[in-house]
Amino acid sequence: MEIREYIIKRILALIPLTLGITFLVFVAINFVPGDPVRIFLGIEGTEELAEQIRQQLGLDQPLLFRYFHWLGQLLQGDLGYSLLTRLPVSYELATRFMVTMQLAFFGMIFSVSLALPIGIASAIRQNTVSDFFIRIFALIGVSIPNFALGVLLILFLSNVFNWHPPIGFVNIWNNPVMALQILVLPVIALGTGMAGSVSRMTRSAMLEVLRQDYIRTARSKGLPERLIIYRHAFRNALIPILTLVGLQLGYLLGGAVIVEQIFSLPGLGRLLLTGIHNRDYPVVMGCVLVIAIVFALVNTVVDILYTFVDPRIKYQ
Amino acid sequence: MKKATNWKWLILSLAMAAVLFVGLGEGALASDNILIVAKDTEAEGFDPHTVPAASSIQIYSRIYEGLVGFNSAGEIVPELAESWEILDDTTYKFNLRQGVKFHNGREMTSADVKYSFERMIDPDVASLARSYFDMVEEIETPDDYTVIFHLDGPFADFMINIGHTYARIVPQEVIDEHGDLMNVAVGTGPFQLAEWVPDNYTLLTAFEDYWQEGIPRVDGVRYLIMEDESAQMAAIRTGHAHITDISPEGARILQGRPGVNVVEYPSFDYTYLAFNVTEPPFDNPKVRLALSYALDRELLAQVVYDGYARVTGPVPPSQEVWAVDISEYPSYETNPARARELLQEAGYNNDLSFTITSSPAYPWLVDTAVMVQEQLAGVGVDVEIKMVEWGTYIDTWINRTHQAMVGRNGAGSTPERALYFFFHTNGGANVWGFSDERFDELVEKARVVVDQGERAAIYAEAQKLLVNELAPNLFLNSPSQFYIASEDIEGFEPTPYMSEGLFPYITIEN
Repeated sequence: MEIREYIIKRILALIPLTLGITFLVFVAINFVPGDPVRIFLGIEGTEELAEQIRQQLGLDQPLLFRYFHWLGQLLQGDLGYSLLTRLPVSYELATRFMVTMQLAFFGMIFSVSLALPIGIASAIRQNTVSDFFIRIFALIGVSIPNFALGVLLILFLSNVFNWHPPIGFVNIWNNPVMALQILVLPVIALGTGMAGSVSRMTRSAMLEVLRQDYIRTARSKGLPERLIIYRHAFRNALIPILTLVGLQLGYLLGGAVIVEQIFSLPGLGRLLLTGIHNRDYPVVMGCVLVIAIVFALVNTVVDILYTFVDPRIKYQ
Repeated sequence: MKKATNWKWLILSLAMAAVLFVGLGEGALASDNILIVAKDTEAEGFDPHTVPAASSIQIYSRIYEGLVGFNSAGEIVPELAESWEILDDTTYKFNLRQGVKFHNGREMTSADVKYSFERMIDPDVASLARSYFDMVEEIETPDDYTVIFHLDGPFADFMINIGHTYARIVPQEVIDEHGDLMNVAVGTGPFQLAEWVPDNYTLLTAFEDYWQEGIPRVDGVRYLIMEDESAQMAAIRTGHAHITDISPEGARILQGRPGVNVVEYPSFDYTYLAFNVTEPPFDNPKVRLALSYALDRELLAQVVYDGYARVTGPVPPSQEVWAVDISEYPSYETNPARARELLQEAGYNNDLSFTITSSPAYPWLVDTAVMVQEQLAGVGVDVEIKMVEWGTYIDTWINRTHQAMVGRNGAGSTPERALYFFFHTNGGANVWGFSDERFDELVEKARVVVDQGERAAIYAEAQKLLVNELAPNLFLNSPSQFYIASEDIEGFEPTPYMSEGLFPYITIEN
């Protein structure tokens, strides 16, 4: 009962939050120098022609008027049209949304399923050779930028194995084999950094918990070590890890912008980047709206998960 | 029980790994006779009358056709018009090809030609083609296969403009239905638009009723969007794509690699150092000329383009019959002493300093700015480089808020564009604030002279005046362009006049 109330409250709180974000972004992108019509026309076309096109697109209206016009349409479920392609923004977003979500989802699965075991292993074998290597790996993972790793992966596989992932994107339920082939390298490039930081967090949280009295008690009761690690220690170490994973998901969405670029994936990040480059205001606004909502939702979900992981946590 | 779960995981992950690497080593192109082209920028819509983006032209030029086109040597050749007659200085008559079908199955007639040109001229459409045809007074269609254009005065480049990429014939009913041609495409060309998934791919399929027998030779063209150049190169080498255009650095890396052909051809583009000629210090032509003497254009070509560029005047050497040989430009001789002398005459004694605006959007923009800075330091000129984002760069250029800037112009295929468009007082792209009566007079005269020899002489005079006396821009290098193609591609030999227009004539060997 109380958790339902909490969820509703959180979701209602999203509304002013996203509105605030859209307003800030709208003002910011409009104050960035650069005129979409001029970028579109390049060296072609006179100022007269540019003015005509501005009128066609409604760009000659004052800033606030345009924002509230955009907002009014948004309330009717209309995100407007791209200034360049004249495609509906909702269509542009729909075709990209699943790409980025799949990338981020698999990136998270990859990094968590790698980071948790090695983080735990590293903690229970503290200061051994394997701990040393895992820590080195984690350090490299955290340090290497995802774009560098991406390019290195492409160059390595194409030069040594003459292999390149298929280009473009197919949905995982249409063609799972090809989808996984396409996603494997970007997922590694995107997830490695997160794997590094999550494994470091897992290690330190585990070490912390393993020093607690109740672990000593459990050991002295003669419980099997496996049970101690997984049921007593890991579960208690999970809260800080969960917080980090939630935050890192946000970074995954950000990192996806660059990784999509390198691996030619038609995702939201790429749409946003081209949108900013071309000052395609409606597209930028649409992307920001979607990303802000996803980010806020993920954090809400993480907060709710706390109550399942640690029943002592209650929300009022 | 715990053990069992672990085993399950192990088997599952092994199975996944196996799935991922199925087909490893095999390039496996989607379909055998589809030409796969990697391009770095997504199209911005397909309306040939309103979209100037190169990424769009690449595609809509395969879908639409004009009355005439150009062959690889730059000569005008028939396309939708089978033949034409110039009845007098201001009257052009075109005889249309019969039986040409639009992709929707309807026959193309003179009414479509009239409609298309009227659409281009219509101010409400805001077409880029308008400035190319504002001399058209009336379009007459005596029968289904004859179109007569009446101009309001003689215009020497009229046939060239008729062949322009924007001057495409479009069907009225499609525009009536959709409002514009941004997201639909129905032309008469060898390929028709089958599918467009923005940022993912664009698929064109061969048009079966195309008027040219046996063309296109492939079943379709699939454009894949790949922004990263190392990814493009890897895709060609591993057989995931057939053709892509590429930077000089990329071309150098792949030169001589087995399985890949690097194709080089000259472009109509050139890089320049432009001045705001309305304000000191660059309102004085002496200062501008002085800087010309200070530059080593050959060295610029070596450093910026790895030598894959030629030294150029306002009309690039690739416009063969029109370009003036650079030996006729004395200021192209690197002569620091002369530079200092001219600067002194203009009142500068090692104390000239100014800002060059450039953008990190392209590596050659950065390299050119840095090289110019270094070379000018040699004659005691202090240059500061201001790097701005691309949108800001365009703003600077349009609003003339720069002192000097480096950039790159597309000089088109005739001097009309290279000279009038950029430097006539009323030229569409004269953003420099440049104006000179003698120059204006020359390019205006050349516009209406139809005899080519006489015209070339006038243009030569205009070029020499521009470089040797006025120097509104310092023209630097005309770079080569590059494609890389996998070795199974036959019939792709691009020239500045014709590159991707060759796609219908390509065959893929298996």
